[in-house]
Amino acid sequence: MSNVLKIKKGVEQGVNEFLKFLLESEKVKGIFALRKMNENGAVSYSLITHPEELKNAVPFAPLMPVNAGKILSGFTLEKAINEPIAAVLRPCELRAFIELIKRTQGNLDNYLLISSTCGGVYPLKSLTNGRFKEQVSQYWESVKNAEIASDVRPTCAACEYFIPQQADIIIATVGKKDLEKECSIFLNTKKGEEFAKGATGNIVTEEIETKDTSNLRQKREEQKKEDFDKLSKDGFGIKALVKIFAACLSCHGCSKACPICYCTLCDFDSKTHEYSPSSHEIEIEQKGGVRIPPGTLFFHTGRMIHMAVSCVSCGMCSDVCPVNIPVSTIFSKVGNSLQKLFDYLPGKDIEEPVPFGTYKEEEFTEIGEE
Amino acid sequence: MSTQTESHKNHTKGVIISAKEGINKAILDIFKKSLEKKCFDAILIPVRVPDTESYAWVLLKDQSLLDEANPLPPVMSVQGAKALSSLTKHGEMTQNIAAILRPCEIRAAVELFKLKQIHLDNISLISIDCPGAMPLSDYVTDPEKYKKRFKNVLDKWGEDDSVRPVCHICNRFSLPSLLPQKSAKTSPAKQDEPNLAIPDLHIGLLGGNKEKIFLIPVNLKGRKILEKLEFKPDDSLNLWENKVNEVQDKKEKRRNEFNQELRKKIEGQEKFTAVFDECLNCHNCMRVCPICYCQQCFFDSASLNLSPETYLSRAEKKGALRFPLDTLLFHLGRMSHMVLSCVSCGACEDACPMSIPVAQIFSLVADQTQKAFDYTPGINKKEPLPLQAFLEDEFLEVETPSEATTPIEVN
Amino acid sequence: MNEEYMPKIVGFLCNWCAYTGADLAGVARLKIPPSLRVIRVMCSGRIDPLFVTRSFFKGADGVIMMGCHPGDCHYQKGNYNARRRYVLLKNIFETLDLEPERVDLSWVSASEGPRYAKITEEFTEKIKKLGPNPVKEEIFI
Repeated sequence: MSNVLKIKKGVEQGVNEFLKFLLESEKVKGIFALRKMNENGAVSYSLITHPEELKNAVPFAPLMPVNAGKILSGFTLEKAINEPIAAVLRPCELRAFIELIKRTQGNLDNYLLISSTCGGVYPLKSLTNGRFKEQVSQYWESVKNAEIASDVRPTCAACEYFIPQQADIIIATVGKKDLEKECSIFLNTKKGEEFAKGATGNIVTEEIETKDTSNLRQKREEQKKEDFDKLSKDGFGIKALVKIFAACLSCHGCSKACPICYCTLCDFDSKTHEYSPSSHEIEIEQKGGVRIPPGTLFFHTGRMIHMAVSCVSCGMCSDVCPVNIPVSTIFSKVGNSLQKLFDYLPGKDIEEPVPFGTYKEEEFTEIGEE
Repeated sequence: MSTQTESHKNHTKGVIISAKEGINKAILDIFKKSLEKKCFDAILIPVRVPDTESYAWVLLKDQSLLDEANPLPPVMSVQGAKALSSLTKHGEMTQNIAAILRPCEIRAAVELFKLKQIHLDNISLISIDCPGAMPLSDYVTDPEKYKKRFKNVLDKWGEDDSVRPVCHICNRFSLPSLLPQKSAKTSPAKQDEPNLAIPDLHIGLLGGNKEKIFLIPVNLKGRKILEKLEFKPDDSLNLWENKVNEVQDKKEKRRNEFNQELRKKIEGQEKFTAVFDECLNCHNCMRVCPICYCQQCFFDSASLNLSPETYLSRAEKKGALRFPLDTLLFHLGRMSHMVLSCVSCGACEDACPMSIPVAQIFSLVADQTQKAFDYTPGINKKEPLPLQAFLEDEFLEVETPSEATTPIEVN
Repeated sequence: MNEEYMPKIVGFLCNWCAYTGADLAGVARLKIPPSLRVIRVMCSGRIDPLFVTRSFFKGADGVIMMGCHPGDCHYQKGNYNARRRYVLLKNIFETLDLEPERVDLSWVSASEGPRYAKITEEFTEKIKKLGPNPVKEEIFI
């Protein structure tokens, strides 16, 4: 049970007013949230310091141009942010930020983390193929009815971790049938309660998990199973993987968009993965031919080894892929399997170490002894 | 722009090859023969990945792999010069290979050679008349439809506008535009430069009416290859030359008009900024660009990491600060780094997830800046990059203005 | 199965235990199939999963990691990391159906010459039954 600030305004207006309150009362020096860029619906994350600029803030626009966890990490690479900032981001972005902090790529201090029960986001192509406005009009109906909004990112349709328990403040949207009239702002932590003191609205106590959120979770779990099974039905194995990644340009866009891939110079972009002509000549002697540039499957498998255990299934990778490879579904499947193996949920608990880079003395004791 | 130059005299004759069974087959048969006759040890050519509609560059020795090869696929997957650089960045090929590339890929390869990212030894460069490529995102969404459309593109050379915008306005789609031109602006020093014609061989498709193709030796190396293939370059190339000139004139005109229109749409701070409203700063464009070869791009490096105080104070100055930061800095910065070598290949626009017309914009700027330096990228191996060379007496007009100087006119 | 088919197996052996154990097996002239190409690392903890992956994608029929038994690592903890990395890699190979049986890890101490011989023999047999790595045929990999 949490304290919930109820504002008698629609959720978009209510949240904007709450953010305005935080900024004008100087409880925070800035609001980090999505901001409108043009009439098409394009949005960008922005750090807003003047309350008048908040009129362009659209924190719930169902788009993710970049994983916000990456940005918050970038702010605080060197050290913690020096003034309190309220950051509005989605559950997977928050989990990614926490995963980055575990890798010393950011600092949590001075962030007031505001998130929401998440209905998902649309693929970025919706902006370019002109479907966005039509999709958005159906979006909120789906959220209210705790249904999977159609045409959202596949990873969103299959996401069961849409309640961001790590946030200080959670805006409840899923299953809230009176979204246009009332805004429910869950004060999830002491910090959240502190910052909300003095905001207009009533405080009640409520449970964020409801029958509706459970229903949605179940639907999404089924969708996930369906997506993963479909991948397996078409088969994996070398031949199938070659087909799946046939169009890959080795642009590494997936890696650059991924919040967990934080390395300034990725191993796969370094000289380690550049080969001399003679190594190619030897290979074509053996095989008759070799793909140039080589190492497509090696790159993807290697990237899985490096980051899949922390994959938060945000779906950025698939969105930036120029050739429509379903990277996010494949990486989610592998990530899921690894997370089960190590009983690990990325971004759930900041104290929990990343499985890749730590160990227990008593584990997997049967390995290697046969 | 006339295409008749001194160097042109070298290849007014070529080999006419029958293409009654299809252009692809005619070309691939030549390549099969070249492997048999040991003209080359291996060939770098796009090959269709089995059971898919995707194309990947393959360096192949095995003739049977040529069955699914396509010298002119409907899309540009990896830019050919980038593929060549991946092969020969760290040294020369010890075996003889042939690489078949589009004209823009040939030119990019030469630029990369100047940047020491490609060793050209033991590589025979074969260029081919290029009608353009289909937009990559369209093609991957509906390969069947765009495959069919590409057939029309080949039929109605230069007229089908379903190709990528930069391809539709491309004025360097054939051999003449790969050869050094003598223009009024060419400095005396440059005019004495020996003619180093690149490529070695050119495959002409225009003017053949899909019934024949033209094998054109461009230099001595190319002539030697034809000898080994037992071809005598005795046939007249008039049909090809005439058609090339005809299409060239159309394309020149179209390019100028297009660029003028585009300029009006994007010039000025407000309009230019608006173009990049939807830019995610993903840097895909930079990574697929053949000229952008830096192991670590400046715009990805820690140089652009700021302290939290700086981010906050910048945000406070403006009231709101967009993230990722410095979108325009990235594009203008990348422009200043590479636009003198930009070959308008269009790989950048294909890779952009938000369909921003980067190739069109960079091409527009490239045309202007390359003109200002009287530099055409990829034409002359020995011509240094404009920013690597200087003359003591040049660009006097940009120095401290006095009554004697007038501002430069950009048109 | 072709009797003469000898698979190419890449073995990453840690210097202090596994490599010494292999050496002991050699000195004792134990019969071992000539399948293993041994790469000596100072500790099994040095084995980057990418070494194993790259060997696999380059066409190695099998890849085996060998090191000290847990608790006996010359550098105290290296083999614990190796164990985790192996488990992670194996899981990925399983999910992607990349013939995870071609990858193995076995602990071999410096005195376990016969154990080294037995493990090499058994792994070679397993790989023989699997046949050559199909990656060897793949151009578009």
